[in-house]
Amino acid sequence: MKKVNLLGLGAGLLAALSFTPEPVMAQESTLDIVKSRGILRCQVGTPAPGFYSLSDDGKWSGFDVENCRAVSAAIFGDPDKIEYQSVTSAVRFTAMANGESDMLSRTTTWTLFRDTQLGLDFTTVNFYDGQGFMVNKDLGLTSALELKGATVCVLTGTTTELNLTDYARTNDLGITPVVFEDSNVRDSTFFSGGCDAVTNDKSGLASIRAKAPDQTIFEILPETISKEPLGPVVRQNDSQWNDIVMWSVFAMVNAEELGMSSSNVDDMKANSANPEVKRMLGVEGDLNTGLGLGPDWAYNIIKMVGNYGENYEEYMGAKTVMNIPRKGSVNDLWTRGGLMYSPPFR
Amino acid sequence: MSDTTHSDAVFRPKPSLPPPPNTVGVVGWLRKNLFGGPIDTIFTVVGIWLIGTLLVTVYQYGIANAVWEANSYRECLDTVLPNGEKVGHSGACWAGVAVWMNQYIYGRYPDPEQWRVQLCLAILVLWLMPFWLPRVTAKIQTGLSAVLTFPFLAAHILLGGEAGSFLMLTSSLALALFVTVWLNVITSYAMNKSVGKLVVELTGMADKDDRLHKWVLLAGFAVVFLGALAYESSWDLVAVPTTDWGGLFLTLCISGIAIASAIPSGVILALGRRSKMPVIRVFCTMWIELFRSVPLITILFMAVTMMPLFLPVELNPDKLVMVIVAVCIFASAYMAEIVRGGLQAIPKGQYEAAQALGLNYWKVTTFIVMPQALKLMIPNIVGNFIGLLKDTTLVSIIGLYDILLMAKASGQDPNWLGLHAEPMLFAAGVFFIICFAMSKYSQHLERTIAGGYGRR
Repeated sequence: MKKVNLLGLGAGLLAALSFTPEPVMAQESTLDIVKSRGILRCQVGTPAPGFYSLSDDGKWSGFDVENCRAVSAAIFGDPDKIEYQSVTSAVRFTAMANGESDMLSRTTTWTLFRDTQLGLDFTTVNFYDGQGFMVNKDLGLTSALELKGATVCVLTGTTTELNLTDYARTNDLGITPVVFEDSNVRDSTFFSGGCDAVTNDKSGLASIRAKAPDQTIFEILPETISKEPLGPVVRQNDSQWNDIVMWSVFAMVNAEELGMSSSNVDDMKANSANPEVKRMLGVEGDLNTGLGLGPDWAYNIIKMVGNYGENYEEYMGAKTVMNIPRKGSVNDLWTRGGLMYSPPFR
Repeated sequence: MSDTTHSDAVFRPKPSLPPPPNTVGVVGWLRKNLFGGPIDTIFTVVGIWLIGTLLVTVYQYGIANAVWEANSYRECLDTVLPNGEKVGHSGACWAGVAVWMNQYIYGRYPDPEQWRVQLCLAILVLWLMPFWLPRVTAKIQTGLSAVLTFPFLAAHILLGGEAGSFLMLTSSLALALFVTVWLNVITSYAMNKSVGKLVVELTGMADKDDRLHKWVLLAGFAVVFLGALAYESSWDLVAVPTTDWGGLFLTLCISGIAIASAIPSGVILALGRRSKMPVIRVFCTMWIELFRSVPLITILFMAVTMMPLFLPVELNPDKLVMVIVAVCIFASAYMAEIVRGGLQAIPKGQYEAAQALGLNYWKVTTFIVMPQALKLMIPNIVGNFIGLLKDTTLVSIIGLYDILLMAKASGQDPNWLGLHAEPMLFAAGVFFIICFAMSKYSQHLERTIAGGYGRR
C-alpha cells in the first residue's frame, strides 16, 4: 500500500515537471534555438540604476538592456521579443553554463580568468568603468592622493575592497577602510559623515550621489584606480552567436560614428551616398549573410534601439539621475578622444 | 471582681475600614505595578521615556514628515515642511510605495490580466468555505479535492495560453470538483440533503442497490467533468509566463502550495519512517535526514541552477515549478518530523487497544492515532508554516521577484533611487499581518478542535 503511495507521489512530481511543454531541439546553434523559440533569453542583474532597472510598470530598461534589445531587433526585427532573466551575481555564470540564458548583459568585468576558465566568451566592451572615490566638497580635495589617513566606506568581500587596499599600500596613504555588507547602510553612513570618502566603480558612485539628500555637496575625484571593462557575454564555442552579439554592439557604435540615429536612419537609408552606410544598412552588398541574419539587421537596431550615443544620453547622460558626463571620457567615440571604436563594416 | 459584665456582650466586629487611599483606584494600581520601589520607579520612567521617544519618532517619520504624493524620490526629499525645512531623510516617502504597490502585489503580471489572480483567490476562498458552513457534509473530501486539484486549475487560469493535455484534464477535473462541491453546498442548504442523494432520488434509483448508486453518481460526475472540459477548452486567455509572476502573489503561490502539500507528504513520510518494512523505512529516513540537513537555499540552487545541467535539454523545466517542487520537498521533511513527534506522544495503549478491537493498521492510524496526534501538533505545525512562509523570501536570491526582491528593486528604479526603508517597512507589515493571522487562527483551532488536549 505504502509503496503505491510513494510511487504516486513520484509520478505526480514528474508530471509537474512537464507543466510547460516547450520543445527545444538539442545540438543546434544558439541562433537556431533562439529563432525556433521565438524569444531571446537575456540575462540582466538585480536592478542597478542606469544599466538595468525595473520600472513601476514592470518594464526593464537601461544601458545594458539596450544590448539585449539590439540583438532581439537584429534577429527578429522586434526589439522586445525578450525574456529578461534577472538573477543575482552569485549565479550569473551558472545560468549561462546550464543554457538558461542565451546572453548576459549586466555590468560584468572582462577579466582573463573569466574569459578562459568559465566556458564563456566576452564579446566586446560597451562601457568602460573604473573604481574611483567620492568625497564631500567641504574637504577641498582635488586628488585621491590627498586622502592620507582618511576613512573610506567600502563594500566588503568585493574586488573594490581589494583594489582600495592595493591603492593605499602602493601610494602609502594609510587609509582606514570602513566595511559594509549592505550598500544602503554604506550610503547613509557616508551621507551622515561616517567616513571621509566612499569608493566604488564610478558609475556606482554616480548612483550613490543620486540618492543623497543634497547631491551638490559631493564630488567624484578624477583618479581611476582600476579597470572595469563591462560588456555582454556569451557561451564559448559558438562563434556565430558571439559575432551576432558583438556586431550588434558595434552597429550602435558605428552608427554614431557615421552620424546615423534612430531619427535619421530612414533618410540615410534612402539618400546616403556613403558606401559604408549603404553596406551597413543592407542597401548594398551582403554583409548580413555571414551573421545568418536578414539584410535589415543593422537598420533595425539603429531604428528601434538607437545609436550608442543616444542610449548613453538616455540612461547615463546629463538629464538622468546618473549624470555621468561623456564628453572626453573613455566612453566617448575614438574620434573624440574616447575608446569607443568599431571595426569597419565591410 | 467587677460588675462590668454585660449580659448582652456579643462580639460585633467593627465595620471594616476602607482600604488606604493609596492602594485603590488609579493611584493604587500605579503604586503597585509601576512605582513599587526605587528600582520599579527607575524602570518605569526609563520605559516610558523609551516608548515615548519611539512613538514620537515613528509618528514624525511615518506620518508628520511623510510625503504621500510625489513623482520621484528626489521630489520626496525636496518637499518643504511647514517649518521651512526640506524633508530629506526625516520623513517616509510613501508616494514611492504607492506607485510601486501594484508590483509589490502582482509582480510583472500584466495589469489587464490581474483579474485572473483575483479570480483564483476567489475560487480558493469559495472552495474552502464549506469548512465553516455547519450544515454541509463531506468536509474531508472538500478539503482534499481543493488541496490536490486546485493548483492545476489555478495554473491553467494564471498561465493562460495553450494548455497541454495533462494540465487541461487536471484543471477540468478541478473545475468539475469545485462545481460539485458548491452544488452540494446549495442542495444542503436548500433541500437539506447532499447532492449525491438528490441525484440518486431524481434518477429514481433511491430504492435500488447501493452499488448502482455509485455508478449513477460517477456518471453524473462524468457529465459535469465533460462540461468543465468543454468550457475550459473554449478559454482564450493570454499566456502569462511564470517569469512575469511576482510580488506577494508569487510569495503566496510558492508558500501556499508548499503548506498545502506539507501535511499529506509529512504524514506519509512520518508513517514510513515508523514503518516495520525496511525498504520504506530506510527510504523515508534518508529522505527526511537528507533534506532536513541541507539549507533551503542549497536545495533551491540545486533545483534551479544545477538540475538543468543533468536533465536533457528537451525537458526544459520551468523555473517556478522547480522552485515549488524544491520548497515542497524541504517542507515535507520538516513536517515529517513534526508528525513523528506527534505520533510518539500517543501512548502505546492506544495502539494496543485499537488492535485488540480488531482494527487493521490503516484503521488504527486514520481513526485512532492520527486524530489525536494532529491535535497535539497544531502549535508546531503552524509554527512551521510561519517559518516556511518567511523562508520563501530566499527565492529572491535565485531571481524570482517575490515581494522582498520587488521591494528592493523599487529602490533601484532611477525615479525612486534611494527608496529603501519604506518598501522594507511595507513588506514587514505584510508579513506581520499574514503571520499574525495564521498564529491567531491556530489558537482558535486549538480551542475549538483540540478538546481536552488543547491549551489550558
